[in-house]
Amino acid sequence: MAEAKGFYTDTTLCIGCKACQVACHQWNDLPAQGMEIKGRVELPVLSGDSYDNTRSFSDVNWRHVKFIEQFSADRTQAAWLMMSDVCKHCVHAPCLEVCPTGAIIRTEFDTVYIQEPACNGCRDCISACPFGVIHVSETKHIAQKCTFCYDRLQEGLPPACAQACPTKSIQFGPIKDLKKTAAARVEQLHGLGQKQARLYGADDKILGGLNSFYLLMDKPEVYGLPSAPEVPSKRVIPSSVWSILTSILIALGVLFRFRERTNHEPKRPASKGAKA
Amino acid sequence: MNYFVADPEWGGWIIAYFYVGGVAAGSYFLALLIDWFGKPEDRPTAGIGYRLAFPLVLLCAAFLIADLGRPERFWHMMLKSEVAKAAWNAGFPWTSEGWALAVQTPILKWWSPMSAGSVMLGLFGACSAVSFASEVFGGVRGFRWLRNHWLHRVLQVVGCFAGFFLAAYTGTLLTATNQPMWSDTNWLSPLFLASAASTGLATIVLIAWWRKVGSPDARHRLERVEPVVLGLELAVFAAFAVSLGPDLRPVWETWSGKILLAGTLAVGVAAPLLFYVAARSRPWAVPVGASCVLLGGFLLRYGAVTTPGELLARGPAAAPAVAADGTPPGWLDGTALQAWFAPEQTRKPGQPGADPDNRSGPTVTPRSKLPRVAPPEETSAP
Repeated sequence: MAEAKGFYTDTTLCIGCKACQVACHQWNDLPAQGMEIKGRVELPVLSGDSYDNTRSFSDVNWRHVKFIEQFSADRTQAAWLMMSDVCKHCVHAPCLEVCPTGAIIRTEFDTVYIQEPACNGCRDCISACPFGVIHVSETKHIAQKCTFCYDRLQEGLPPACAQACPTKSIQFGPIKDLKKTAAARVEQLHGLGQKQARLYGADDKILGGLNSFYLLMDKPEVYGLPSAPEVPSKRVIPSSVWSILTSILIALGVLFRFRERTNHEPKRPASKGAKA
Repeated sequence: MNYFVADPEWGGWIIAYFYVGGVAAGSYFLALLIDWFGKPEDRPTAGIGYRLAFPLVLLCAAFLIADLGRPERFWHMMLKSEVAKAAWNAGFPWTSEGWALAVQTPILKWWSPMSAGSVMLGLFGACSAVSFASEVFGGVRGFRWLRNHWLHRVLQVVGCFAGFFLAAYTGTLLTATNQPMWSDTNWLSPLFLASAASTGLATIVLIAWWRKVGSPDARHRLERVEPVVLGLELAVFAAFAVSLGPDLRPVWETWSGKILLAGTLAVGVAAPLLFYVAARSRPWAVPVGASCVLLGGFLLRYGAVTTPGELLARGPAAAPAVAADGTPPGWLDGTALQAWFAPEQTRKPGQPGADPDNRSGPTVTPRSKLPRVAPPEETSAP
């Protein structure tokens, strides 16, 4: 197995140019997303939500640059947070765990990849993903998400988005090198008085670690990231235990209620007769 | 609740599957119970369950396949498609290489409810098919032999367990996700199970009443079981509501959540119980009560499946604000419910707690070693 590779996204360096989105679309032959307007599918229109006109992940938007505008009440202070979001390629991947067909695999680079010929479009992975990454293709009717440019990685090339990023906000490399870079950057920012700088997914607290982890300047929720997602299988055992208990209670309850009459009715005259 | 997830858009087919699967499993289990523990005159009512389960399972399979993005790939749930194709290309079944690959094709991820459920649906289908055949073709010699053979009994027990699994795993399937509400409780699965039992029984009762199957006495015995099942469902429903905790209010504020909570409670449980208690002797009580149970079971599945989509559309802003001191925003709030059941546990300094009226006052005088100072006597004016 090759070394574990990943993305380290330093959101302080993101300028919101969307070169990563364009590179992703070009390399993966993804079309522009149509949008239904009065029953007709048209090309994207302005969303009115800052510069974010793709709005979210979708079957053709595997990268999504988020624009978060923060203003103080009197609008004298402003912060504009930008973040290029992507599949996190979790170390404990919820989608891979639940996939009933085995279409979702872990590659030799420790990334998570959907095999298109195996996926049958059941959408269990969409339910499982805590980040809302996976969507169903409207043309292929199967689950789609970032492939981490698996084809490029096998040829020794970096993913298209990381290569296109002009500010090194998206950095690609072996995970352990990226973690060192990220830790040094946080220290630097803290030294500059930016105490709110923090890493998201760099340690193993979030799903065992995210192979695409982030440097954020605010709480994860501000960026639309859950602070404590869990693997789905964690809830299977408690749910099953309560169900088994319920099924035993139902079986016993029904049995006793049903047997009550069947036993008593014929016995009653017999016992009277015995007494007499 | 995690509001940052994508909606899987499980809709009508999945709701229909959860509902019909529950009825199939419930009626099979009850048929087996009547068959084994009932009197000979109960046998015809058991037959209803056996005749129902298998066709309903076929319907379930059809619903599930229809829901897939690529229905022609439904078999990928059971077999690893790429290994199966490799086995075929290696010359299966004519070559040993083909066989060596073929034995690796079955897929079962027992930690994934959808994978385990696919296998158990197949198992339940097989068992209910045998019961169906021996019931419908009971007169044919081969089936008559099978019906009285011990093997049939073994299959019935296996089918009964598979049925329980089928009824319950649909809830676990929703819980084993990261969707709002679904993943915030462990009680959807028991709730679906209890509902499967009540709707399965209601179906048998309704058909027995409509087609006048079996003796009136046998039918009456069956009707008496319903309140027990409904009572258990009520208890499980209460556990479900409490387990949602602070998420109960945002759930209630959606239309789907109202259907889930009020529909299940009022239509599926309270109304039929009321009819049983208050109007048992009326001729309409049995069919109307059973119909209410069936409708309530459907509302439960409908509400449970559609609520997360509505919650996601409303977003986190729809969640009610909890006051800074932790005071819940209204009566229908999980924390309010928890405060009701564990008042001391949720108490904060200054709040009343478990026994608000029983507190210090003029009636409370602590036992003390200190000499009591008598209140100064009023000096009368000279």
